Amino acid sequence: MADNVTLTIDGKQVSAAPGMLLVDAAEIANIEIPVFCSHPKLDPVGCCRMCMVEIEGPRGSRLMTACTTPVAEGMVVHTNTPQVAEVQEANLGFILLNHPLDCPICDKGGECPLQDQTMRFGPGISQLVEPKRLKQKNYDISDMIVLDQERCVLCWRCIRYLEEWEDKPQLGLHNRGNETVIDIQDGQPVDAKTSGNIIDICPVGALTNQISRFAYRPWEVERTASVCNHCSVGCNIRVDTRTHTVRRIIGRENMQVNDQWICDKGRFAHAWVNGENRLETPLLRKNGELVPVQWSEALDFIAEKLQAVKQQHGASAIGAIGSAKIGNESNYALQRLFRSVIGTNNIDHRDGADVAGLATGLPSLAGVMKPQYGPNPQVDTIFLFGIDPSEELPILDLHLKRAVKKGGAKLIIAHPRKIELTRYNGPYLAYEPGTEATLLNGLLRAAAGQKEGLNSTAVSHLADVKKWTEEADDRALADLCRTDPAAVKAAAAMLAKSEKALIIYGPQAARGSDGPAIRDGLANLAFLTGHQDRLAFVGLEANSQGARDMGVLPDRLPGHASIGSSDAVKRLEHLWECKLPTAAGQSYKQMLDGGVKALYVMGADPASERPEWAEKLDGLDLLVVQELYLTETAKRADVVLPALGWSETDATFTNLERRVQRAPKAVALPQSRAAADWAILSHLAQKLGAKWHFADAKALEAEIGKAAPIYRGLTWEALGDQGLQWDASALKSKPELKEVRQKMAKGSKEYPLTLVTGTVLFDGGTLFGATEKLDGVTVGPVVGLSPADATKLGLTEGAAVAVSSPEGSLSLTVHISEQVQPGSAWIPESLPGAPVGALLNGSVVQRVKVEKAA
Amino acid sequence: MREKLAEIKAIEEDAKAQYTHTVNVCTAAGCLSSGAAQVKEALGKEVERSGLERWCQVKGVGCLGLCTAGPLVEVESQSAMYGHVTVEDTPAIVGGLNTKPVERLRVPTGTPFFLRQNRIVLENSGRIDPERIEEYIAAGGYSGLVTALTEMTPAQVIDEVTASGLRGRGGGGYPTGLKWTTVAKAPGPDKYVICNADEGDPGAFMDRSVLESDPHRVIEGMILAGYAVGASQGYVYVRAEYPLAIEHLKKAISQARRMGLLGRSVAETTFGFNIDIRLGAGAFVCGEETALIASIEGKRGQPRPRPPYPAEYGLWGKPTLINNVESFANIPPIIRNGGEWYASLGTEKSKGTKVFALAGAITNTGIIEVPMGTSLQEIVYEIGGGVPGGGRCKAVQTGGPSGGCIPDAYLDNPVDYDSLRSLGSIMGSGGMIVMDDSSCMVDVAKYFMEFCMTESCGKCVPCRVGTVQMYRLLDKISTGRATLEDLALLENLCDMVQNTSLCGLGQTAPNPVVSTLRYFRDEYIAHIEEKRCPAGVCKIHSSVAQTDSPSYAVAEVAQ
Ligand SMILES: Cc1cc2nc3c(=O)[nH]c(=O)nc-3n(C[C@H](O)[C@H](O)[C@H](O)COP(=O)(O)O)c2cc1C
Ligand code: SF4
Ligand code: SF4
Ligand code: SF4
Ligand code: SF4
Ligand code: FES
Ligand code: FES
Repeated sequence: MADNVTLTIDGKQVSAAPGMLLVDAAEIANIEIPVFCSHPKLDPVGCCRMCMVEIEGPRGSRLMTACTTPVAEGMVVHTNTPQVAEVQEANLGFILLNHPLDCPICDKGGECPLQDQTMRFGPGISQLVEPKRLKQKNYDISDMIVLDQERCVLCWRCIRYLEEWEDKPQLGLHNRGNETVIDIQDGQPVDAKTSGNIIDICPVGALTNQISRFAYRPWEVERTASVCNHCSVGCNIRVDTRTHTVRRIIGRENMQVNDQWICDKGRFAHAWVNGENRLETPLLRKNGELVPVQWSEALDFIAEKLQAVKQQHGASAIGAIGSAKIGNESNYALQRLFRSVIGTNNIDHRDGADVAGLATGLPSLAGVMKPQYGPNPQVDTIFLFGIDPSEELPILDLHLKRAVKKGGAKLIIAHPRKIELTRYNGPYLAYEPGTEATLLNGLLRAAAGQKEGLNSTAVSHLADVKKWTEEADDRALADLCRTDPAAVKAAAAMLAKSEKALIIYGPQAARGSDGPAIRDGLANLAFLTGHQDRLAFVGLEANSQGARDMGVLPDRLPGHASIGSSDAVKRLEHLWECKLPTAAGQSYKQMLDGGVKALYVMGADPASERPEWAEKLDGLDLLVVQELYLTETAKRADVVLPALGWSETDATFTNLERRVQRAPKAVALPQSRAAADWAILSHLAQKLGAKWHFADAKALEAEIGKAAPIYRGLTWEALGDQGLQWDASALKSKPELKEVRQKMAKGSKEYPLTLVTGTVLFDGGTLFGATEKLDGVTVGPVVGLSPADATKLGLTEGAAVAVSSPEGSLSLTVHISEQVQPGSAWIPESLPGAPVGALLNGSVVQRVKVEKAA
Repeated sequence: MREKLAEIKAIEEDAKAQYTHTVNVCTAAGCLSSGAAQVKEALGKEVERSGLERWCQVKGVGCLGLCTAGPLVEVESQSAMYGHVTVEDTPAIVGGLNTKPVERLRVPTGTPFFLRQNRIVLENSGRIDPERIEEYIAAGGYSGLVTALTEMTPAQVIDEVTASGLRGRGGGGYPTGLKWTTVAKAPGPDKYVICNADEGDPGAFMDRSVLESDPHRVIEGMILAGYAVGASQGYVYVRAEYPLAIEHLKKAISQARRMGLLGRSVAETTFGFNIDIRLGAGAFVCGEETALIASIEGKRGQPRPRPPYPAEYGLWGKPTLINNVESFANIPPIIRNGGEWYASLGTEKSKGTKVFALAGAITNTGIIEVPMGTSLQEIVYEIGGGVPGGGRCKAVQTGGPSGGCIPDAYLDNPVDYDSLRSLGSIMGSGGMIVMDDSSCMVDVAKYFMEFCMTESCGKCVPCRVGTVQMYRLLDKISTGRATLEDLALLENLCDMVQNTSLCGLGQTAPNPVVSTLRYFRDEYIAHIEEKRCPAGVCKIHSSVAQTDSPSYAVAEVAQ
């Protein structure tokens, strides 16, 4: 790094990095320069002219914009001369000339830079008395954002955000001169998945939040630093509340996680917290009906019933399902209860043991970030396997786009759909679900053919590798996987050439019985090309990582210790004062497929996933559901326990890079009798005779640090408001090459298309669906078809069709999409009223047919 | 290549020698608009009808300069120039070829208009057929390029340009050699050369004339620049309203390509250079270099703050040399004759010649080229022939909307960058509008302010809002509704907008107001205090109505 330069601002010596802009240097010296267009996260544009300062030069001093002028050695700057003051005042006068000044009805009032600066630098009354320019007021630029062109000061921040971060120039300037306005392009609403950030950065009230409009006044709200609960990125947010309701959510800076950005789901979809149909009291089934009861009655009933089942069928007939949407404390309490008090390892969560994951998550999010003047991405190539960040992890998507566009990183994408990120023209490896391991063998085979860039240890097994992967030749790739062999070669070459590549896969890629083969195939590739330290599995839910860390898995104890690890068993038996079960437990799927007689479900809704599971739940001896809402599963329960959700109780969540972060209580439900999940479990433990004394979440965190050494020291206080990453180095294992194979599903004439499923951001899930104002952007019950298949089947956009598999049938409408590959049918998960589980029925790979609805 | 050029030259000269007469018809835009195409066709037919086609060739040439007298026809063998030629005149002209020139049509050529000019940029204008590369070559064209590519290093080429003292002709007057050096020194393999042919000043048409009349010299200048700075791609950004210039340019580029003077190997050397044309949609601000670059990149044509200058961070973020048409047009003769030769012309700080477009209340409207340092007096009264009808020249406006008005009393000042600046105006790109007593200075200022207001791109606050305010104040003054406070406010605004605007448009928009206030304050005062327009242009009686009959000069300019 080059040496700092020294300059003088208002007589103060300031040392600044070369290339730094004057506005930023002034900030170091605590000197305020007023700005509108300048923003630390956006490229300078220099259009508002508010930041003019005097810079001394050989021909006298000159007025220059501090936001576009880089520092230079020996520069002498004045920010408080009469001339500067005059210019600032005049410029504000110009801005106010066309500004409506409807502060009393403006959402920005109270936190408005224009208001503030007018007070500090502005003119008393404007001398210019010409008529104001009349523009469009209250004009929807999307279902979530309203634009008021009269309030807009044309600072370009919104335009620049969408261009520089989203790479979607969806807002632009129209007309010229005094008629210039901000507007959408060609009448298309802004639909970037993180569009709401422009509200946060707009220096005036020109862009406002449709969902929170008029719902708050900045000076009345209480502000709580928290993290988002909608996906595993774990973006830092601020929750603004008043009278026990969440009024709005805005982004909060964390340079290790989300910079300062959040996505639109995280920002707008919060109505569920204060939803009308929240469960408020325990319900017990009496004469076939769920009726309100006291807590003690409900818990006594459960304790009695559990003991009865255990006596009759043994502990292995009892199972518990935890949740990756719920914090660490409650998941920890759940597995402790069932392991130590009931005595079973039948503990899992959705996408837990049924997905072949890896313990350690992403090495770091900052490794793929390219902030404005911050570090460059620490990886040069990113290989996404079966994961679609644009729909699944929007802020990761934002980081990736910027890493590619501004940080020069390259992308390789393997996905059954030609996902949005393929627009960066890296190799795209389309594949048929069910052929992943073959594709990975093909990649391994191509990598083995590389002359340079291979791991020297792995290279000694090259002959073996070549032998196992013989069958994955170009023909197999093209015919079986439907992957372009040339793209496979290009991808392998890029991985071998890369200094530091990051390989990320998601649950969609490694679900079901083929999961381990796919995970091993990825590990082989990572090892051979020298990137074994940067192979990452990322779960999608807010606490996917934490649920695994807490041991909500049938074969893992807290801290990822195997249930057979004598060290861990000894430690936990001592801590929990119990004898631990030794047999491996059942997975989520096994339990739901009928492996248990009694099931305790905390924050999961398997009944809506698959019709068959719903039926099986009805047949259980005992079903307890701890929930926020009366879900399909809760409706079938014997006992329903009302829980407090995110923001209603202190909890920690572990994001996809193992960062443990705080989500404190921000609202209270005054009339509700709901309790924190861990508190309910504590009471139940006591009813079952255990001595549990957890006063609060912090007490649990203290115990977690003892139970799972990787969490040692991660206390509430230590986490602070930026969180801490747990250290993964202890969990590193020696890489090895393993032969992998995958049984091919047979093609079928009757069911010509392969079903592709996955997550979309704006799904109809319980949490998202609660914000009715977002109905317009919710993905409806659709089946995506490639243009070629749609033509072949004689189907047009919007046609009503029946999609059937040997397992079941769904009524959907056709959506024709270039993203969908020929030969496949795309049905997102969690669509309102159309559970794709009906077609899969537990399988991962399924073939379907699409017919015009009768 | 040198042999090839010599051969072409010989063939051309041979061919020309076959003819006893060459009849040049100006087919540049000015004359075309008054019927030159028909005249040329009629002349051709007449020559054929008289059976003279073996002895007489009729040739379309570029602008002869005296556009006001168009269509212009010149018979070289008779040293006769004809003006206002009609189709009906053609038999007489052809008939006179072997006898006597047609006196009634003659335009005197012994006048200062022709004698006092020193044509370097315009050396071929009106002499060669701009649609034939051979004629350019026969006139010595591309010989400088071949010399440079085969005998000079890029640094030597830049040295010549630096020695010539050439300063940018696009308005800023930045030393061209210095700019070339910066781009040459900028790191990176990809660099670009851009020719700025956006010419948006009302009243300016020099660049159009050069492109129409002698497009190859601009191409040659650009190739030389490419070689000197290390670029292999050039763009000409030309306004779409110049169809003839575009057509000639396109033709010239493809001819140069076919001749091996553009392409992967220029003049059989390892140096490769290509030129593409990009059309501008006519916004004045797109002539500003950073806006022009944005426009080529397919973005909205708006300026961005400098630094970084295009020389470091230009088109697609690469080092980019951007020069004006006339700047490039000066390069071939500089390389051919040497920088020192060029530096011997003009004044100490303003070397060479400058092309001006004369317009307004002046007899000889048209295009002229004079050595730097020629006085305004000489330009207006001698070369320009003075105000028609012998009236008084009240002021000369130079630099268009960025410039100012120089009053009569200062006309003895030389025309160069520095003295024009000291008079409160600028050289600009070369528009020169002469105004007589029928022009009202408030009205002139208002006209230019309106131009800036409508052409403001709207990006930065002071220009976007300030030009509207200044325009409204000027309107108030011109309609007799203003007070002295309004005048003070106007001066204040001028200062603000000048000092705080992002680009040259806003920074210079107040100039016409400032300069008219400097020399013609009494006219403003008359409007304000006496509710009177001394020139009788502004309508003051109906206090609400806006002026709807602009003055003579302004109307002329607005064309
Ligand atoms: C508003 C504005 C309009 C301009 N229009 C032109 C133009 O039409 N042609 C031109 O050559 N330069 C124009 N310029 C100047 C260019 O920005 C640039 O300085 C010039 O092209 C550089 O070439 P030169 O060094 O050869 O003069 C304009 C500048 C401004 C601020
Ligand atoms: S943007 Fe600011 S100044 Fe404008 S109306 Fe809203 S609160 Fe008032
Ligand atoms: S809408 Fe807001 S962010 Fe966008 S340009 Fe206007 S003031 Fe700036
Ligand atoms: S990316 Fe994920 S964590 Fe971040 S705001 Fe969106 S849903 Fe929330
Ligand atoms: S000065 Fe005028 S033309 Fe130039 S950037 Fe500002 S608004 Fe646009
Ligand atoms: S903050 Fe510098 S110009 Fe806007
Ligand atoms: S256009 Fe014909 S003389 Fe100028």
